[in-house]
Amino acid sequence: MKSRFNTFLFDFSILSIFRRGSKNIFIFFVFTLLIFLLSSVLFISNSIKSELDTTLNALPDITVQRLQAGRAVNMPLSRVNKLLAIQGVKAVVPRVWGYYYFANAGVNFSIVGIDSFEDQYRDLYTKLCDKFDFDALKKNRSMLVGSGVKKILQNNFYGKYFNFIKPDGGLVKVKIAGVFKGDTKLESNDVIVLPAKKAREIFGIDKDKAVDFVLRIANPVEIPNIAAKITALYPDTRVITKEELSISYQNLFDYKGGLFLALFVISAFTFFMIIYDKASGVSSDEKREIGILKAVGWTIDDILKEKFYEAFIISFVSFVTALCLSIFYVYFLNAPLLKNVFIGYSNLKPAFDLPFSFDFQTFAIIFFLTVPIYIAATIIPSWRVASMDADEVMR
Amino acid sequence: MIELKNVTKEFKVGANDKVVALKDINLHVKEGEIVLLKGPSGSGKSTILSLIAALNKPTSGEVIVDGKRVSKLADNFTSLFRRENIGFIFQRYNLIPTLSAKENVIVPLIPSNPDSAWLNDRLKKLFTNFSLQTKMDVIVKNLSGGEQQRVAIARALINNPSIIIADEPTANLDKKLSLEFIEILKKLKNGKNSIIIASHDPLFFDLDFIDRQIDIHNGEIS
Repeated sequence: MKSRFNTFLFDFSILSIFRRGSKNIFIFFVFTLLIFLLSSVLFISNSIKSELDTTLNALPDITVQRLQAGRAVNMPLSRVNKLLAIQGVKAVVPRVWGYYYFANAGVNFSIVGIDSFEDQYRDLYTKLCDKFDFDALKKNRSMLVGSGVKKILQNNFYGKYFNFIKPDGGLVKVKIAGVFKGDTKLESNDVIVLPAKKAREIFGIDKDKAVDFVLRIANPVEIPNIAAKITALYPDTRVITKEELSISYQNLFDYKGGLFLALFVISAFTFFMIIYDKASGVSSDEKREIGILKAVGWTIDDILKEKFYEAFIISFVSFVTALCLSIFYVYFLNAPLLKNVFIGYSNLKPAFDLPFSFDFQTFAIIFFLTVPIYIAATIIPSWRVASMDADEVMR
Repeated sequence: MIELKNVTKEFKVGANDKVVALKDINLHVKEGEIVLLKGPSGSGKSTILSLIAALNKPTSGEVIVDGKRVSKLADNFTSLFRRENIGFIFQRYNLIPTLSAKENVIVPLIPSNPDSAWLNDRLKKLFTNFSLQTKMDVIVKNLSGGEQQRVAIARALINNPSIIIADEPTANLDKKLSLEFIEILKKLKNGKNSIIIASHDPLFFDLDFIDRQIDIHNGEIS
């Protein structure tokens, strides 16, 4: 029994692709490049969204800063107990952090002071760091640095130690006990984690003060009420709720997303220009060939089927190639060049690692924006020619 | 049997002008008959062939082939009609230049998804008959004019057509190759195939195997 699928027609389509090799290679490259751009932009946007969700989940319920003359100043630790006394406040964590300007390299490091390097955190550090000297950490004379910091320090001949300059001109010598792994969230270069005591020395923050407080609230519904109570209790503070921070992050991510939307629109526009160009006509050789096929007994359906196979093979192979390249570029190479759009913004530091977030919807969007449109752009002009009398087409 | 009844064909030239290619033509070709349409260039010979092969439709009148009004068929049915009944040898061969000889010959059968064994057997016979065995895989644009024409003939015959049409078959050939073509044509006469040739080449005028010669002038049978 004859098979229903016409292998001769399919073979003829493949043959036709190779017969018009140079033209089809050009189409393949352009098509692949554009799908690659479109999908990279969509993948990165998805990653931003996913990163945003992660960031928002990790935000503190309430952040309290003290203001003086409109500027943030250090908070007295004596306020911790009063804040804890407010009903619904689960925890108050004073933070010691800041930016340290390293003039030799002209860069800022983000310094985060933590209370102590305790044994219970040994596993965590093992996960986060490539190598570290836990004993040195325990003695509170060491620090963990981001890979970027390590690189900058090495370039400036600080291999094992670094001397921080205190506000009074004195030096604070801190040993480098470990380096954060490149693939962790903290890879992004500029982070230094050291004991809070050392951080106070470096920034000249008194023992009884902190940069700000972060609060955990038992019931999220109560956050606005507690924020209002804190403002009433300490009128010199700025109380930032999780929601307000979320909005500010959202704006930032929207801005970054907007840049990518612009890139997306440009890629899509170029794609449609090429498609329009292709759709606007069939070459004289192709026209003549369609005429010959009709003259020897091919129906319009046969011709369209053959053109469909041709277009589908080219566009689908391009689509799969571009998608694989895009996944490799975004998630394995971490989108060099395009990723630069994201770094260099302090709010995003210490991390912007593109997390893998591939969903079927993205796949479907890219597929339906490209493959069927290309197939239609190939078939419609062929259909126009095939609908004419064979004699007329051959002439 | 092929029958043209009061066929007129006009072609539009520009927005308002038209050229009358055929004027009220009546023609009958019997089964197995070989007919030569002769006349100068532009007399309307090729137009008659196009209408018989349903490559075009008459402006008025009817074309009937084996009882089928082919001039009234819808586009897809005219294609099927050609696939099943017509073998057309075009003046400029109309081969697909980037395909091999074998691939060109197969082209008319591709939509019918033929049986591979049968097809290979058929190809072997045709290529042997036309002394093209060594040229099967050669891209046709690299073949000589005579070889290209033989490929075109093989393509016209691949589907065992009941009607063979040849439009100015010797127009692009030298005398030797023209005589070769005439020999092939002679072999095709078997009492079943109707063969219609349009030519103004005097080589055809005295051939004894041609049953009838019809003169066409200015779109009319004289």
